[in-house]
Amino acid sequence: MIALALDIITTAAILFAVAAGLLIILGVLKIVNFAHGGFLTIGGYSALVVTQLGWSPWLAYPVAALAGMVMGAVVERFVIRPLYDRPLDAILATWGLGIIIGQLITIIFGREIQFVQTPIAGATSVIGETYSLYRLFLIVAAAAVAAGIAALLNATRLGLEARAVIMNEPLARGLGINSGHVRFVTFCFGAGLASLAGALITPLSSVDPNMGVPWLVNAFMLVLVSSVSLTSLAAAALALGGAQVLVSSFVSPVIGGLTIVVLAALLLRIRPAGFGRG
Amino acid sequence: MSGRLALAGSIAGLCVVAAIAGPYVLDSYTVNILVRSFLYAATALTVDILWGYAGILTFGQAAFFGIGAYAAGITFTYLDFSPQNAVLALLAGLAVSAAVAAVTGWISFFHGASPLYVAIVTLAMPIIFVQILYSGGTFTGSSSGLVGYNTFDLSVESWFTICGVGLVVLTTVAWFFVNSDFGRMLVAIRENEQRCTYLGINAPRIKILLMVVMAMIASVAGYAYAGYTVVVAPEIGSFVFGTELVMWVALGGRGTLIGPVLGTIVIDVTTAYLSGNLPFVWKLIIGSIFVLVIVALPQGIIPVVRTALGRMWSAATGRSAMASSFTVPAIVDARAGRRAGAGSDAPALDVADLTRSYGSLKVLEGVTFKALGSELLGIIGPNGAGKTTLMRCLSDGYERTGGTVAAFGQTIARVPPHGVVGFGIGRSFQTTSLFETLTVAECLTLARYRLDGAGMMSRMPELALPDSARHVIAATGLDREMEIECRHLSHGMKRALELAMVLALEPSVLLLDEPTAGLTKPERTLIGNILVELVQREGLCTLIIEHDLDFVRDISTRIIVLHQGKVLLDGSVAEVVGSELVRTIYAGGEHKGAAR
Repeated sequence: MIALALDIITTAAILFAVAAGLLIILGVLKIVNFAHGGFLTIGGYSALVVTQLGWSPWLAYPVAALAGMVMGAVVERFVIRPLYDRPLDAILATWGLGIIIGQLITIIFGREIQFVQTPIAGATSVIGETYSLYRLFLIVAAAAVAAGIAALLNATRLGLEARAVIMNEPLARGLGINSGHVRFVTFCFGAGLASLAGALITPLSSVDPNMGVPWLVNAFMLVLVSSVSLTSLAAAALALGGAQVLVSSFVSPVIGGLTIVVLAALLLRIRPAGFGRG
Repeated sequence: MSGRLALAGSIAGLCVVAAIAGPYVLDSYTVNILVRSFLYAATALTVDILWGYAGILTFGQAAFFGIGAYAAGITFTYLDFSPQNAVLALLAGLAVSAAVAAVTGWISFFHGASPLYVAIVTLAMPIIFVQILYSGGTFTGSSSGLVGYNTFDLSVESWFTICGVGLVVLTTVAWFFVNSDFGRMLVAIRENEQRCTYLGINAPRIKILLMVVMAMIASVAGYAYAGYTVVVAPEIGSFVFGTELVMWVALGGRGTLIGPVLGTIVIDVTTAYLSGNLPFVWKLIIGSIFVLVIVALPQGIIPVVRTALGRMWSAATGRSAMASSFTVPAIVDARAGRRAGAGSDAPALDVADLTRSYGSLKVLEGVTFKALGSELLGIIGPNGAGKTTLMRCLSDGYERTGGTVAAFGQTIARVPPHGVVGFGIGRSFQTTSLFETLTVAECLTLARYRLDGAGMMSRMPELALPDSARHVIAATGLDREMEIECRHLSHGMKRALELAMVLALEPSVLLLDEPTAGLTKPERTLIGNILVELVQREGLCTLIIEHDLDFVRDISTRIIVLHQGKVLLDGSVAEVVGSELVRTIYAGGEHKGAAR
């Protein structure tokens, strides 16, 4: 029972961390970034490089975030910027980018599954239940990500500008906000977050060039049902992630893998605002 | 039209010859690959019709291809191959695809759905399909699929000819389909679905039907694939294949039919030749070209080639290659007597206690009035009085929060706008809301769809319009601009077309939201005269929102003043214009009103 509750909470934490970058980019740039899976993969392989170089596994996180931000900067400048007015085309172009990233990684690292070193090994006892320490650490990490985003949005000038762009872009531009700059920084930040999430999830599984795709679809669904709000995203991750854990444990892992997609699609049909207040 | 028809016919003829001669000319490896490419191309064609024409971005055609393939694979594996079983498998694939497409369509298309939503649902579909295959265990062969069942006893050459000719026929039929009246309607739905529903077109149902038919075509292609390759694996129904189809369509040129077909064949054959030597690099190159094309050439490669060829052609011959391709339909009289509510004694419009609130904000409150045929009811009031909201509540059954609206004694239930049109209520919009790339004639044909239907394979040679609509287009000179695309029309012409389209619906109640906004004085007078004549001669109940008090006074038979969501005054023109109250509301009276 306790293990199940912990599974639900840690799964929700992982889903939240993975989807946060996508949510921010959708909120400010109004485009769905299908290269999100590619950025997750970059994060995973950053962790792999850190492992191969023999550095401390803790360094994987800053390295991954940095790698994601640099890639994000390049991608924003050359691919995203020309597609601001064509959101459906942006989906396709970023999907193409995901393919490019996957193939580049395959060429450099090979297509086989590889493993990275985990910074926290072992298990601990939580109210009499032995549980993986790393999964518990992920709750802290997700909370830190959420706090970081909230602080950036609410306590910095850029965050204020980003919120203005989210609410009403033409008006924000009219007030002298350089929305192009806000978009650029947001995209880099979102890409960095995605890579960080990629590095966070790798110790749980393994890295391979297509590791991002299954995460992409779930993250995408969660973001759509949370109508650009971090609190709604947390609620959606907990509700749908919880449903996934329950279905996987009691019905079948295969159907469990579909839970988020199916529930989110049905939820959007019944209530288009999803978990948001709308 | 005949020139273009002859050209299309000769191209199709050449392709058929190529499909028959192909196996004798090409080496056996290429023939082998091309059969598969033809089947992929047929599926890409369905993606093009859905996405390029109807604007439905779908990743789900792969799942239907997979359903058709697995229907054949499973039947032939467990029941063995026989002609009866072959037919059975085909029908099973068609039935399952159609059912899945209908459910998907029902989930994706509803009044007010965002265009992104269908992309999400169809993205989920191949993922679910593959998971079902995995959980099918040995029955579906799980991740390795089913191999080595007995199948059609046909040579590769015969497959080549069958699939080649099939693709040519499918493309030709698709060409007629997208150029028919029905095909134009799909484009109209893509460009402005909301306006379509106010023309009485049930857009969600049309999209669901289209999706079902396209799913069935993809299923047949998948069935042939399973019969030809003697192997079915989850990859053919996967999310990756679904996105590849979209990529091929985008690279070839969406909305061109021939582009996606050629794009698929070229890319698939090249992939077959190159992927052996440089598998990852080739995929990298395709991915890079794809991103480049989306960013720089959103229309795809074929349209660019075609424009270049067109320029060379006109430079060489001195003639324009882009001549008008379709004849304009002749305008004829519409059959009379199809107006809703004809002969009814009940008032044309009976509004009782109508309310519309957004949360705690009440935009309309207790609005009650009746309007009879042959009345021209002016609705005035300052900005924010709720005039346009009133129009919305009358024309869309979902809009009102409370109260009832009845037309000719029939209560209008909570139905979407296309249902309200069926009650005889036609509405024009405050901001011109037309179909940018459709011609004037096509817009008017669209407005007639509800009454006259649309040809699936052809264009109607005649356009039947009621007197009133003919009068408007003749008086404003639109009848000489029938071939012009709407975006090239002047503002006045657009307003006139908007009015003509509503009249073409043959409404019994006409809702006009500032029909003369932004028009010059003579244009306004012209439209005013037309309206007055319409009401007097045809007994059309007309509600008109206007800011210009002088204009309203000239044409109205009665005036309703709305203020802060309530009916403030309801009386004759003299009563309302003479009222102190109205002068106060308009702060300064007539002068300010007239200046607007």
